[in-house]
Parts: sequence; structure tokens; C-alpha cells
Amino acid sequence: MRKTFFALLLGLLLITLDTYTSVFETTRSEISKITIPLKLLANFPYQVNKWVAMNTTSRSKLEQKNVSLEKERLILLGQLQRSAELAAENLRLRQLLNATELVMQSVLVTEVIGGSPNPMNHNVTVDRGANDGVYIGQPVLDAEGLMGQVIHVFDNYSTVLLITDINHALPVQLLRNGLRSIVEGTSDYNEISLRYVSPTVDIVEGDKLVSSGLGGRFPVGYPVGTVTAISQNPGEKFMEIKVTPSAKIDRSKHLLLVFTSKDGDIIKALNE
Amino acid sequence: MNNKGTFQSAFIMLFGALILQLFPVASDWGLFKPNFLLLMMVAWILYFPEKYGIEFAILMGIIADFIFSTPLGYHVLTFSICGLILIFFHRIVVYLQFIHRIILVFMMIMLFEFMQAAIDATLDNPLYLEGIFSLAIISALCWIPMDKFVARIYLQQK
Repeated sequence: MRKTFFALLLGLLLITLDTYTSVFETTRSEISKITIPLKLLANFPYQVNKWVAMNTTSRSKLEQKNVSLEKERLILLGQLQRSAELAAENLRLRQLLNATELVMQSVLVTEVIGGSPNPMNHNVTVDRGANDGVYIGQPVLDAEGLMGQVIHVFDNYSTVLLITDINHALPVQLLRNGLRSIVEGTSDYNEISLRYVSPTVDIVEGDKLVSSGLGGRFPVGYPVGTVTAISQNPGEKFMEIKVTPSAKIDRSKHLLLVFTSKDGDIIKALNE
Repeated sequence: MNNKGTFQSAFIMLFGALILQLFPVASDWGLFKPNFLLLMMVAWILYFPEKYGIEFAILMGIIADFIFSTPLGYHVLTFSICGLILIFFHRIVVYLQFIHRIILVFMMIMLFEFMQAAIDATLDNPLYLEGIFSLAIISALCWIPMDKFVARIYLQQK
């Protein structure tokens, strides 16, 4: 009976302490280091599968893939030339207007090596850490759009909180008219929610959302999602707007860690 | 099998349960992935309630809290309650047929999920109750090999 009472009391006490204080933060961070090798081990079958697939692909398939990638590279290089020209023009205009800081991003490719075993917690572990310059709050992208931000950094690994997590919020703006708002995670990999939008504003299904850069954490202009459903419940002050994320949140294996640098670096980069 | 052998078996099973728990699955299947740590705890408490009692349930709860990144105490509380129920009914459960034990595990998983939903509701976390029934069935089926493994150790011990 005494043990029963102790167990229940311990459970309640620990929940209260961990929810309302940060006394276990260091312990949790240290223990997360122990779980990394376990995650790597659990990910081993995927790595074996990948290795087998790589080593058993026929020469003709590889050649086909090579040709297709070469074409894609040429198209992207063409787009990059145009983009560099636009960036230089943008910089000159901002300098004429005495606008405030302009940021430039460089990226680092990383691979997902583990996910959260709890389906309600949307985070992944990636194979880059403090040794690669990764820092807490760093934005993470995939090829399609914003994925999330780094929340824990270890020497060689980091944990990324995804934008679909219930605890994640991100300032965005509508690409069409610049309307600013906030998207929040819903614990559903295919849906995020646009919050605090009044019923009178101009928003329609199919509108694209990009990061607004407000708050200073995420760089401006990265695709976040597309508005898929708009509804309003009678008596509610704001509309209920569902957004499908641009990024392949639960499928992307290779991600990009974004490093931002200030004006001086962009001028140097453009000169180069 | 001596006490050391039993402890080694429990450790190996814990390691296996952790790997299975961390094994990546597609997001759609994640909601139907059994809680292998809970299933392991149920199997050991059913056969060895004197050695693997409430302290074992608390320890497994702490491990689960770190693995699932839930607030510390979340799984400690639910695992402890499940452990207490199993210890309380242990003498009856021993004489149950195998199929009845599977039904008991199914009901235990349902109770566990409802307890978690209650805590989630208190902490303002998102709830997912639609899949509980399917999850309980899958968990009860996954418990069978674990039960067979611990039953063999139990028989060797005897």
C-alpha cells in the first residue's frame, strides 16, 4: 500500500515539476545523448536497404539517372544566374533606400537518422551537430520548403522540431498580398493551421504561404505551405484555415541546415 | 536459470524493446505502433511479480518518458497504475487460459491509452482516441511472443 502511494505520488510530482519548471532539462539533454546510438541502431535496417539498393542498381539505370540529373543541373544553373542578377539588383535598391540588414543564406546538407517514437511529438534527429556549426534555433529546409528548427545540439547530432509539431509556431505571410499571420502545428504531418485570420481578409484556397522573417528566427521568403480549406464557425472571431505544408515533412531523408550571414558577406559573395 | 540469468534476459528484452520502439515507421503507421516497453513490463510483472514489481514499473516509466520525450512522470504514473493492477490480479491471472490473458492485455492497453488521454487532456496536449481499439489489438498480438519468451524463463526458473 505504501509503495502504491509512493509510485502515484512520484508520478504526479514528476509531471508537475517537469511541466512547470525546467529542473530536468539538463538531465533530459544528457540522457538524449544515450538514445542517439540506439536510434542509429534502429535505423540500421534502412541503411542496409539503402546500401543494397545502391550496390545492385544496374548500369543502365545509373546512366539514365545521371542524364536526368545533368539536365536538372543545367536548368537550375540557368535559374541561379537569373537569381544572382535579381539578388544584386535587390541589394542595390536596398542600399539606395538605406534599408536595414539584408541576410544571405548558405546551407549544409544533413541526413535524418532517427525520428520520435511518440507519434504526437514531431521531431527528427539529424547527423550534424555542434562540430559542424549547428546551433539552437537554426532553420531547416527540405527541397520543397521549411521543415522546422533545431532544438537540441550535440557534438555530432541535432534534434529538429518540425513545423507540424503542436508546440511549433511560425510567422508567415501570404505570397499574393503580403497578409501576415502565424501557422501552428497540429500533430498531423499533412496539415498545419493558419491562426488569427479575421473573416474579412482576402484569402482563398490555393494561396501560397512563405516565411515572413518576423521574429528573426526563420529567413524571409521560404515556402511554408498552401491554403487547402477555409471555414468559419458561427460565433468564432477568427477563421479556421487549414494549410498543407510544402515540405515533405514525414518523407524527406535529406535536409538543409540554413546558415545566415549579414550584409558584408552578401556583398563579398556577389563580388565573387 | 538463476537470478543473474533472469536479469540478463530482462536486460536483453529491454534492449530489444527499445530498438523496436525507436525503429522508424511511416507516419501513418506510427499511431498503431505498440508500446513495446509497456508490453515488456506486463510480461515480466505477470510472471515475476515479486522480483519485478512496482519498482520495475517506475523504472520502465522513467525510461519511457526519456524515450518518448514526454514530461517526466507521465509514463511513470501510467506504468505504475498498470503494474499495480497486474500485481493485484496476479494470482488470478496465473490460472487464466492463454486467450484470456491476451484479452487481459488488450484491456490493459485500452486502460493505459485512456489514462494517457486523460493526462493529455489535463496538459492541453492533442488527443488521438480513434485508433485506440486497433492499437490495443495490435499490441495484444505483439505481446504473444514476449509472453512466450518470459514464460520459458519462468519455467526454467522453476
